[in-house]
Amino acid sequence: MTAQAALKTSTLHAATAASAPAALRDLNGIVHLLTCGSVDDGKSTLIGRLLWDASDLYEDQRENVRRSGRKAADSDLPDFSMLLDGLVAEREQGITIDIAWKYFDTETRRFVIIDSPGHEQYTRNMASGASFADVAILLVDARAGVKKQTKRHAAILDLVGVKRVVLAVNKMDLVGYSEDVFRKIEADFRTLCWKFGFWDATAIPLSAVYGDNVSTKSSAMPWYTGPHLLEHLEKAPSRGSAEGGTFRFPVQTVLRDGQDFRGLAGTISSGSVAVGDSVTDALSGRSAKVVRIATMNGDLKSATSGQAIALQLDVDIDVSRGAVLSTSEMRPVAAQTVEARLVWLSETAFDPRAGYLLRTVTDLVPISSFEIKALLDLETMSSHPSTKCGVNDIAVARISLGRSAAIDVFSEISETGTLMIVDAITGASMAGGVATADNAKSDAPGDGHFILTREMLANGLCRDLSLSANDREEFMRRANEAAILLRAAGVSVAIEPPPLVDDGMDPGL
Amino acid sequence: MTASPSHLDLLEAESIHIFREAAAQFRKPVLMYSIGKDSTVLLHLARKAFFPQKPPFPLLHVDTTWKFRDMIAFRDKTARDFGLDLIVHKNQEGLKQGINPIDYSPSIYTDVLKTQGLKQALDKYGFDAAFGGARRDEEASRAKERVFSFRAAGHRWDPRKQRPEMWRLLNGRLGMGESVRVFPMSNWTEKDVWRYILREKLDVVPLYLAKDRPTIERNGQLLMQDDERLQPKEGEKVVMRKIRFRTLGCYPLTAAVASDAEDLESVVAETINAQTSERVGRLIDHDQSGAMEKKKQEGYF
Repeated sequence: MTAQAALKTSTLHAATAASAPAALRDLNGIVHLLTCGSVDDGKSTLIGRLLWDASDLYEDQRENVRRSGRKAADSDLPDFSMLLDGLVAEREQGITIDIAWKYFDTETRRFVIIDSPGHEQYTRNMASGASFADVAILLVDARAGVKKQTKRHAAILDLVGVKRVVLAVNKMDLVGYSEDVFRKIEADFRTLCWKFGFWDATAIPLSAVYGDNVSTKSSAMPWYTGPHLLEHLEKAPSRGSAEGGTFRFPVQTVLRDGQDFRGLAGTISSGSVAVGDSVTDALSGRSAKVVRIATMNGDLKSATSGQAIALQLDVDIDVSRGAVLSTSEMRPVAAQTVEARLVWLSETAFDPRAGYLLRTVTDLVPISSFEIKALLDLETMSSHPSTKCGVNDIAVARISLGRSAAIDVFSEISETGTLMIVDAITGASMAGGVATADNAKSDAPGDGHFILTREMLANGLCRDLSLSANDREEFMRRANEAAILLRAAGVSVAIEPPPLVDDGMDPGL
Repeated sequence: MTASPSHLDLLEAESIHIFREAAAQFRKPVLMYSIGKDSTVLLHLARKAFFPQKPPFPLLHVDTTWKFRDMIAFRDKTARDFGLDLIVHKNQEGLKQGINPIDYSPSIYTDVLKTQGLKQALDKYGFDAAFGGARRDEEASRAKERVFSFRAAGHRWDPRKQRPEMWRLLNGRLGMGESVRVFPMSNWTEKDVWRYILREKLDVVPLYLAKDRPTIERNGQLLMQDDERLQPKEGEKVVMRKIRFRTLGCYPLTAAVASDAEDLESVVAETINAQTSERVGRLIDHDQSGAMEKKKQEGYF
């Protein structure tokens, strides 16, 4: 199809959409939900209940559940967890060892449930599942409250960059729907979240088996005036709806039409770009102007985060796969050394003599030296010096690269700060992680940091901001912007996170 | 915060990203084209990913010789219209042995003509990556499938040896003897496929639309007599019924549904309101418990 024909098609589509019944229209965005907790917390039942209540399940799927005759624990209701079953081996063992993906639509929105196991021996599975999540649901049993495991989960969520967390306090029916029990757990949760970079942390009392506060307001807990779970989730922002941000365009491949078109194809990972903008290759420092943003649906005047496009530049600045385009002022660091937090994913432990490669969003770079500095204890968030690292460990590592690669600090610009360690021989994915500091020089990164402290920011740049969820997001945005500018100017810098949302509750500190 | 983007736009962008990653990372990819609605969307996404270039890989169709005639005509026209290379592979040994879906059990038939046929084709041309239209919402064992799904030598899928994936990082570095199946539509649902076909005005095989067709009722399912190789057994007869298909495969193994939906809009409306999930119409899945997972381990998809 020619571009013109494609344009015509999209006009036709507009006419169709207007007349199509609601069910045929596009939904308003996608929210990815990570559910974490153990089998005992009733996780499968909660997800099953959400699917059962809120979604467009097919009748044969419902019938399957009814026909099985299996009952949810301690009740006469169908076993909703059956909607979640996966691999045969796991079904037989009665545990979930891998991540399962499940999809459901409400009237206006697509939800993707990423179901991950909760036990400590599956930290890696949870971390990989969490890396895709927009919102995480942490499940606890009201009888047990916040446990060590909950802390570990929160730490993993924070590590991989999840910003919105819901504490689902399940089995409220088993504690007589007691407000006191809930408030105590909620306070513990707030204390726990205090040290992490979450933008929103909400606790909801519910009973998955009976459906209290899952997709309808519970009449058993009149003291709870907040939203039920689904209502809360429907208000969460969709992926791709974030505005602003620093422009990043990792180049995936170069497209040619056999004539004069040479397009840099990729997905905008942050910010936006318009025809006429000047873009810079972080590694070479060379700049060029965008003359065309091409897609098969027709050329665009501008494009934003999440869109897959091809950029044609006015001059050939010799960039190809692996390059990251940015503005000239706010470039990612052309890093030679990276300090990272890694989740070790492979059963094969770290081996200082093995050959490893570093994968960034679109680049693959040889690692010249790789040193494990410490392991993190997720329950206490303390680190212990170590040179060893094995499966499920969270390690602090220092990595020197065989050549420069464009890498951001993950807490500032997430996608271009994500990393994967690849075994050079087998190709296996050994570890996934985030850059916490990077340096264009080959000597020690992270040393001699300039720290943008919370106090400094709150008294200056962010003086006009409150501690509400929206303002917290804005606080971090400004702090990040300042850090990126300083870093582009060669200053090694770190940010102290702002305090968690102040909604009048005692933070418990 | 701006308004939420359309979920189909998000899915489309994700699929394009996956296509581009795979094309950049693998030496010799191929697109497994099976002619149905999922393949139609898959091919459209591939064309978008590389526009204005043509997709830098051929299409591969593993032909069991039992596909509906309308499917074959559609396949050839599609390749011609878009100017794409089409490789059609048949398992000649299997055909010589007389394996067919009427006299043999679905599992033997599928293994020989589809699974073995696909492996033969991938080996013959040395493809190291094959794009497929599989979706995680199709079936329980697929709910855990990766976007880059690794196959050991002999195309074996080992659920325990799959690589963890994180963020938008896709690691396609192959070990010795490994190849990969790439699923750009992992996060699409059946309804998305139809919505997208409608939105993008894509042509589909006419069998998706209701029409009077010759049918035989067998084991409570409606089969279409696409040619003389399928004959009524004793007590059965060929009856003209208004039917359409929700999925397309080998015609003796694909059940039809009675329907009046003669245009795409009505089909989609019926699908959105459907009471059964689509694989009910695909007979091989009922063959045994955990059927799909077993087929995968053997190399079927």
